[in-house]
Amino acid sequence: MWQSGRRPSDFSAEIDAHIELEAERLRQEGLTEAEAAVAARRKFGNVTRAEERFYESGRWLWWDHLTQDIRFSLRNLANAPAFTAVAVLTLALGIGATTVIFSAVYAALLKPLPFANPGRLVAVWKQNPSHGWTWNNVTPAELVAWRDESGAFDDMAAFAPTSCVLTGGGEPEDDPCEQVSSNLFPLLGVSPIRGRVFSADEGRPDSARVVILSYGLWQRRFGGDDRIIGRVIEVNNLMYSVVGVMPEKLPHSYAPPDLSAPALWVAGLTLSPTRFWNDYVGIGRLKAGMSVTAAARRMDAVSARLTGQYAVLTGWNPQVMSLRREVSGDIRPALAVLMGAVFFVLLIACGNVANLLLARGVARAGEFTMRGALGATRGRVVRQLLAESLLLALAGGVAGIVVAYAGCKSLIAAAPPVLLNSAPGLATGVGDLRVLVFALATTLATTVLFGLTPALQGARPRTASARLDAGRPSLRRVPIPPARSTLIVSEVALAVIVLVGAGLMVRTLAGLNRADRGFSAAQVLTLRVSLTGDQYATPLAQEQFLERAVAGIKALPGVDAVSVSRGLPVTGWAGLLFITYDHPNPPSGNWPDANYVVVGPDYFRVMGIPLRRGRTFDGRDIEDAPKVVIVNEHLARTYWPGQNPIGKLLRVGPPASPWRSVAGVVGDVLTRGPEVGRLSEMYLPYQQYPWLMVPEHMVVHTAPGVAPASVAHAVTDAIHSADPRVPVADIEPMERIVRESAGLQRLVMNLLLAFAGLALVLSALGIFGVLAYTVSQRTREISVRAALGAPPRALLHLVCRDAALLTGAGLGIGLAAAFLLTRLMAGLLYGVNPADPLTFGAATVILGCTSLLAAFLPARQAIVADPGLALRHE
Amino acid sequence: MSTQDTNRLELLQGTLDLLILRTLIFGAQHGQGIARAIQQTSGRELLVEHGALYPALQRLEDRGWISARWGTSATNRKARFYTLTAAGRKQLAKERTKWKRLVAAIDRILGPELAGG
Repeated sequence: MWQSGRRPSDFSAEIDAHIELEAERLRQEGLTEAEAAVAARRKFGNVTRAEERFYESGRWLWWDHLTQDIRFSLRNLANAPAFTAVAVLTLALGIGATTVIFSAVYAALLKPLPFANPGRLVAVWKQNPSHGWTWNNVTPAELVAWRDESGAFDDMAAFAPTSCVLTGGGEPEDDPCEQVSSNLFPLLGVSPIRGRVFSADEGRPDSARVVILSYGLWQRRFGGDDRIIGRVIEVNNLMYSVVGVMPEKLPHSYAPPDLSAPALWVAGLTLSPTRFWNDYVGIGRLKAGMSVTAAARRMDAVSARLTGQYAVLTGWNPQVMSLRREVSGDIRPALAVLMGAVFFVLLIACGNVANLLLARGVARAGEFTMRGALGATRGRVVRQLLAESLLLALAGGVAGIVVAYAGCKSLIAAAPPVLLNSAPGLATGVGDLRVLVFALATTLATTVLFGLTPALQGARPRTASARLDAGRPSLRRVPIPPARSTLIVSEVALAVIVLVGAGLMVRTLAGLNRADRGFSAAQVLTLRVSLTGDQYATPLAQEQFLERAVAGIKALPGVDAVSVSRGLPVTGWAGLLFITYDHPNPPSGNWPDANYVVVGPDYFRVMGIPLRRGRTFDGRDIEDAPKVVIVNEHLARTYWPGQNPIGKLLRVGPPASPWRSVAGVVGDVLTRGPEVGRLSEMYLPYQQYPWLMVPEHMVVHTAPGVAPASVAHAVTDAIHSADPRVPVADIEPMERIVRESAGLQRLVMNLLLAFAGLALVLSALGIFGVLAYTVSQRTREISVRAALGAPPRALLHLVCRDAALLTGAGLGIGLAAAFLLTRLMAGLLYGVNPADPLTFGAATVILGCTSLLAAFLPARQAIVADPGLALRHE
Repeated sequence: MSTQDTNRLELLQGTLDLLILRTLIFGAQHGQGIARAIQQTSGRELLVEHGALYPALQRLEDRGWISARWGTSATNRKARFYTLTAAGRKQLAKERTKWKRLVAAIDRILGPELAGG
């Protein structure tokens, strides 16, 4: 019935034409001009009626009603600016916060990885249950066996994160890079924007040296050179030809989130069945239809055979998980907590808007009755209210998108790298339309449902016994309607849950900050140097450079002490097996292991690690001197309980390695964080050229009052004057490294605090709204009581009692729910029980005070009002 | 209503559409022409309320049975001319059959005219 696009004016013109034609005919039949006109019109009948019938059959009626409804709604909303502003703001904050967090959750946990058939990609690791070691790197031998014998995989690739020093032309630089098996990119299904990926030949150890550049490196170091393919560049002092350039947006999401994206990829990782280096991260592509658990079972069978064949693989089982899960990493619980909290905030926001709409509906009961009396049909009133609700939701939605956009930007700015690496899509802004649609739909449903409730009640013909003064104060005792009390109780309950969650995170952060990590990060600057190439092929050359650099830095003003190390507290953990002379044959699969740190003299002084027994390293500990080691208290206690550890012997590395005697015992450093606790650690002097490790870190302790970051330039210059070709990377104050280690907890805490603040304000607004409403309903009752001599205290009690009851009920339910829910976030907490009484108490007090304050304002207004005035006002 | 109209038959519900379609079979015509044609063809027996004609025309146009465009009448006046569409022609045939069956059915019920009835 709406397909006609004809305008009413056209219809009227046709009727006019008809009447003229008819009059003309009548004139021809002999009537006078005037008679003909009258007769024609009479014969036509009721013109207006015809026009109305046309109008009612067309879409114009519908359109007119719509524009009328919208105009009227806009006027209504503009006439209640406080209501409109609060409602729109509440909706905007609810929608915005939900969208931001759900975007992060979607990007980090759910969004399919941007590879070909990502559902079939798995990460392959191994575990050693007898040591409690999990997610260890794998050997090429295992990868080949799993790939070829399990029958679960189409293919398997591997990569090894490492660092590459670029020299020749420009400043030397030290970049993260990956050595990859030549089938990695085909397996993922990614292609380069220039050149090609590695060929199968280039996986062989003796093949030509080739490299693929990241877009960033190509632009930055090579100025986006158009003829980059085939160019020869110097990597780790060897010549490599560039064969490809990867696209700018190549996601690094095939790797665990704690690895940085590489600047370049080097070929040459050989998947050889006879190689047993535990250096590789494996990625497999499952056969179509193969599940991860089925694949794991088949791999177990293969490993059982391997273990029998090679002693070095004894005790190791495969560990496999979908790549999607792997990339999500450890942020799953954090995001789950945030998602829960933001969902509660959204519910509170919806509750508030519902409350506002209900209050407004009651206040407008008279208006609806009046409109009904004037002939508005029920449908017409409902439609008008629907328009009003929709407008409100629309305004809230638009404002919510703005909030979401800004929120995503600040989340990205505040997010620790581990979140950004897990959620590659997050960096591009509001990730997903579905998220926004979800939040919009929730609020839309709320506004429409609660916006219409009064309409459906108000539009009932018998409403309020057709009292036009409905909504005005009366002397009757007015209870708070049950719908509104339920909303308030729920809001308070939800707010207290979020508040408790935020409180627990505050306590966690405080605990982490307070925790004694066994070293002092203050005044310490750390940096990394990479000694590569022919000139540093010998340990002596490395030592000479490091001594020159240390001397140069030590001479700088503002520097107290300098040392070198391989491995830093917090970020570095290199667990290695060792044996003690007292127990040279530990049971297979149960070897002692410890963090293996190679240090220079003064390391303990720079890091503030206390010496407990014996001595620290000094000039005596050179290559020809007796080999020594320093252990931490935990190691000494574990392996030589009740004995003097000084002089005890231990050995690390292959059987040909020397026995080392314990020269000293130092305090425990909580390298893997306070959450993990004390572990065995050993320190070896770098000047005795210990097995495997060359120092790569330098640690600088600055004088009191000198900020570590302020000497960064001078330190870099001092290193470059020792050798200008050595790149200096990762210059960071140790305090920042410590702070960033709690980055995820800090982000969760900040967001939960923000949500708790929001929840608190919203629920306070809700209580304020309901109390203001009941007070306005009870003005007359209160005035009469006041006039009869009731003391203000009694009146205050009268009003606040409702608020106290509602808040009390909400607190009770909320605390009980929080008690059950906070257990789910135990994994994020440190140093605080999920049922921490202090946190629960504080949340109760904060919420209780806030709601009483919210109740007090309207109550006070009622009491100070002049009773006479209030009564006359009736 | 003029007195000369009082003895005319009022149209049965729904028959106006049929008559309009039938009238337009002779070619394009404007509303006033259609009204006059119905009256004259029916031997001035049928009363077409002109006011009811136009919503009916609009309805037929919306359904796609007739189409309309503004043109000039024989007396050089502007008027909206209606033409039967192919769908309208089909509809006319359908309505016509329906009407005939209806009339026959009602006739059978009414039976032969009773004497003195």
